[in-house]
Amino acid sequence: MKPILLQGHERSITQIKYNREGDLLFTVAKDTVANVWYSVNGERLGTYNGHTGAVWCVDCDWDTKNVLTGSADNSCRLWDCETGKQLAMLNTSSAVRTCGFDFSGNIIMFSTDKQMGYQCYLNYFDLRDPQQIEDNQPYLTVPCAESKITSAVWGPLGEFVIAGHENGEINQFSAKSGEILKKVKEHSKQINDIQTSVDLTMVITASKDCSSKLFDSTTLDHIKTFKTERPVNSAAISPIMDHVVMGGGQEAMEVTTTSTRIGKFEARFFHAAYEEEFGRVKGHFGPINCVAFHPDGKSYSSGGEDGYTRIHYFDPQYFDFELEA
Amino acid sequence: MNMHDTEDMPPDVDYDEDEPSFSDPEDFVDDIDDEELLGDLLREKPQEADGIDSVIVVDNVPQVGPERLEKLKNVIHKIFSKFGKITNEFYPEGPDGSTKGYIFLEYGAPTQALDAVKNADGYKLDKQHTFRVNVFTDFDKYMNICDEWETPEKQPFKDFGNMRHWMEDPDCRDQYSVIYESGERTAIFNNDPKDPIVAEERARWTETYVRWSPKGTYLATFHQRGIALWGGEKFKQIQRFSHQGVSLIDFSPCERYVVTFSPLMDTKEDPQAIIIWDILTGQKKRGFHCESSAHWPIFKLWFSFYNYFRRYPLSKTHSLLQSMGLLDKKSLKISGIKDFSWSPGDNIIAFWVPEDKDIPARVTLMQLPSRQEIRVRNLFNVVDCKLHWQRQGDYLCVKVDRTPKGTQGVVTNFEIFRMREKQVPVDVVEMKGDPESKNAFAWEPNGSKFAVLHGESPRINASFYHVKNNGKIELISKYSVTVMNGALAFVDTSDCTMMNIAEHYMASDVEWDPTGRYVVTSVSWWSHKVDNAYWLWTFQGRLLQKNNKDRFCQLLWRPRPPTLLPLDAIKAIKKDLKKYSKIFEQKDRLSQSKASKELVDKRRSMMEDYRRYREAALLQHQEQKAARLELRGGVDTDELDSNIDDWEEETIEFFINEEIIPLGETGCVRVRRVCEAGDCVVVLLLNCWRLCCSGVILTWQFPPPFRLSGGVVIQHIMNFNKKTCLNSACVVFVAFIFFCVCFCFRL
Repeated sequence: MKPILLQGHERSITQIKYNREGDLLFTVAKDTVANVWYSVNGERLGTYNGHTGAVWCVDCDWDTKNVLTGSADNSCRLWDCETGKQLAMLNTSSAVRTCGFDFSGNIIMFSTDKQMGYQCYLNYFDLRDPQQIEDNQPYLTVPCAESKITSAVWGPLGEFVIAGHENGEINQFSAKSGEILKKVKEHSKQINDIQTSVDLTMVITASKDCSSKLFDSTTLDHIKTFKTERPVNSAAISPIMDHVVMGGGQEAMEVTTTSTRIGKFEARFFHAAYEEEFGRVKGHFGPINCVAFHPDGKSYSSGGEDGYTRIHYFDPQYFDFELEA
Repeated sequence: MNMHDTEDMPPDVDYDEDEPSFSDPEDFVDDIDDEELLGDLLREKPQEADGIDSVIVVDNVPQVGPERLEKLKNVIHKIFSKFGKITNEFYPEGPDGSTKGYIFLEYGAPTQALDAVKNADGYKLDKQHTFRVNVFTDFDKYMNICDEWETPEKQPFKDFGNMRHWMEDPDCRDQYSVIYESGERTAIFNNDPKDPIVAEERARWTETYVRWSPKGTYLATFHQRGIALWGGEKFKQIQRFSHQGVSLIDFSPCERYVVTFSPLMDTKEDPQAIIIWDILTGQKKRGFHCESSAHWPIFKLWFSFYNYFRRYPLSKTHSLLQSMGLLDKKSLKISGIKDFSWSPGDNIIAFWVPEDKDIPARVTLMQLPSRQEIRVRNLFNVVDCKLHWQRQGDYLCVKVDRTPKGTQGVVTNFEIFRMREKQVPVDVVEMKGDPESKNAFAWEPNGSKFAVLHGESPRINASFYHVKNNGKIELISKYSVTVMNGALAFVDTSDCTMMNIAEHYMASDVEWDPTGRYVVTSVSWWSHKVDNAYWLWTFQGRLLQKNNKDRFCQLLWRPRPPTLLPLDAIKAIKKDLKKYSKIFEQKDRLSQSKASKELVDKRRSMMEDYRRYREAALLQHQEQKAARLELRGGVDTDELDSNIDDWEEETIEFFINEEIIPLGETGCVRVRRVCEAGDCVVVLLLNCWRLCCSGVILTWQFPPPFRLSGGVVIQHIMNFNKKTCLNSACVVFVAFIFFCVCFCFRL
């Protein structure tokens, strides 16, 4: 399984995302450019230029028309996927941490950081109403005074956003009223990442408390827990197997003081039902900041603090492997 | 100048007009009492006491006639005015005018009197006269002691159950204590090769760490206010010893006493730095002072005394302690004793004294309490000595670091004292060529072998020696190990074979279990902040368990009391070992198959639960299909290829790779390159000697996402520069490889 190395960023990768078909891979990093790559061979298709700060998040709508990025330059920008043209720029008062298109691709949400005296907000815009974009006026804005949102995804059918917070809480924010529909606290520390399964029925969280948990996205029932010894930065659910992949490692600020051996920068594969680890993939020489499964489940990618994105195609043995039961 | 100004100041203020009144108004009630206002003055207010507390009685004063009384008074004054001003004195005289041999002195305050008693009691004036100093009130106190003997009230017997309950485990599992979550939680586990079984787990059981007593009966926990002992089946509290700020403890080998050390709370009057307690009654037996900046070594010193007097009835101990204290103080003063150590087997103390001018350094073995020197060995050019007793006290090894004259560096000798033979013969093992190296020495627990670690990190040598009956010391074997952080080597010392070399990265502790069948290596949170875990190994070096515990701190095996079986019974067991091992093997097999069955069952039930959940979720997902279709404008996106009819084929040309490979002079070069695009392999065979391309073989193996259709176009462009080739026999070979892949794209 020789990986394809994508070298297009000068700083650590913050998020990677496949489009729905999986032919394109979007990567954003702490530098200002968002990249899009062919996932088959790792050729760069193009960039989205315009941001002036670290880009924290990226999303692509279901028909790969628009791309949404959020940045620490206090803006969230909408791009034309094919041409790379900037369609809209939504200014905020603090850094944009998470962003996403809903199921229909008509509504976007993004959350801002608690920063410089501003608190954390979750904003909803309806793209069908150009006035909202023009006035930079979301149709709904939800303040989160308690603990800031550190990761968020849309729930099924675009009814709510599932947000992970700095204190380990997970909340469902309704896209219509903004009220909190459900609230759980299974993690003790910051939730670094939330990703949905391909059918959006489940979400997986990745937390600084060294564990990942599987939840039902509608009821937020806790289903499974995957434990490691290092903070988990990102986790993803395989679309075809009962597997999850987790990436993380020693925190970036502590990395310089130890050898790579102690950092545990491998991507780790767990069986979703047995909660047992069955494989690891080495490669990054810093913590893994994000992982993503290809929608066909035959490859996965990881982006690291080292600035590289690696696309891994699974060996045939991976598909035959089964734990004894 | 200022003075002048003031004087010259014009009387512009009319003082007569409103002079403030300082007296209290009539209805004023003072809410401040005198104590608060002038407490410091009130304390010195003369008391109405008769001053009897400040009077001391001095006995054994020389009896003198009136002519020498003045001289005596001068001497007494000189000695006793050190402790405070003597306000009154009385020298009783006999009928003949000479003093009676005892005097009364009165001090200004009772504290001074106490000070005098403490310090002047036992003062040696001359050969015949040693002062006995007492407080006057003591006479009163001891006179009034009731003549009747009052039997102390019988304490009800507290039953703590079977204190050795853990010994009755049917599978003879050993227990160990684990502290984790940075000390928040403490647990006792039963060791099992499969998985540890929790015997007890408590939050905030101890504030710092725990200790087992030497026979494993008690578990001591440390708290700010003192220590607590726990034991019995359910780990109930057995005893508490209140000692503020206790930091170190030690048990007597028979578990009768415990000695505690606290760096706080030491006052002159009441020695409290080190306290010896009776475990069964909970009584404080005695307190000791501790020198300032005293730490573990001093404590060890005290403990050694303690160790010593355990063999005697307690009534004797105090005097023994006194004499012992003196003995040691003397040697400290005279010869500057550096280190000493007690024999674990006999009442023998070994100590060494460093070189002093012409007197060589000495290692002395002394019998106690007779203080007879059994063996003295003189050593020269000694830098440092370390004393290591074998566990039974059969041998003593003194590790001597020397700097021999005329040579550079330090040479290490091991002097082995054979204690069980007449005259205590000494043999020497010399370690050459490893000066200044990290040396570690250890005796075999029961036997006459010892191991030495020497050499510079990261190359460490381990040597094993055997002390033979005739006194010869034989080197059995020597290993050289590259030491990384946490490397482990398992050596069988019976034939000295290396059984296994393993690694536990960053391991900070190694603990053998009481039976010697298992060993635990651990990374403690106290030394490393990550990967805190303890791993269980067999004695052969096979890893059994990796137990990751959040912020794991400390693991301690519960010791076992010595076996009660007589020697012949042990022999009989050893003889029938085969019979027993068969039973155990069968048991192991049974539990193993049970374990794997349990695991499979567990997985199966987990899988079933998960499947059930997934089916329910997918059912719901199906129900929402209509809603999904509506949201995406009627396009079915549930499967990746659910609307494949809408797809259109598009041909994209990818530039795969460019390689510039300088080829050497060799006739035939095989270049093999794996393209970045996956498993696409290009093999080029080139015979550059003949300057012609003898063959280009291209092999393609495509990764799963490629969907090839039509013909694959492969182009090679090869540039041969014949001139360069002839001159330098170097071919620069440039291959541009393009290929086209038909890839499916939806419009």
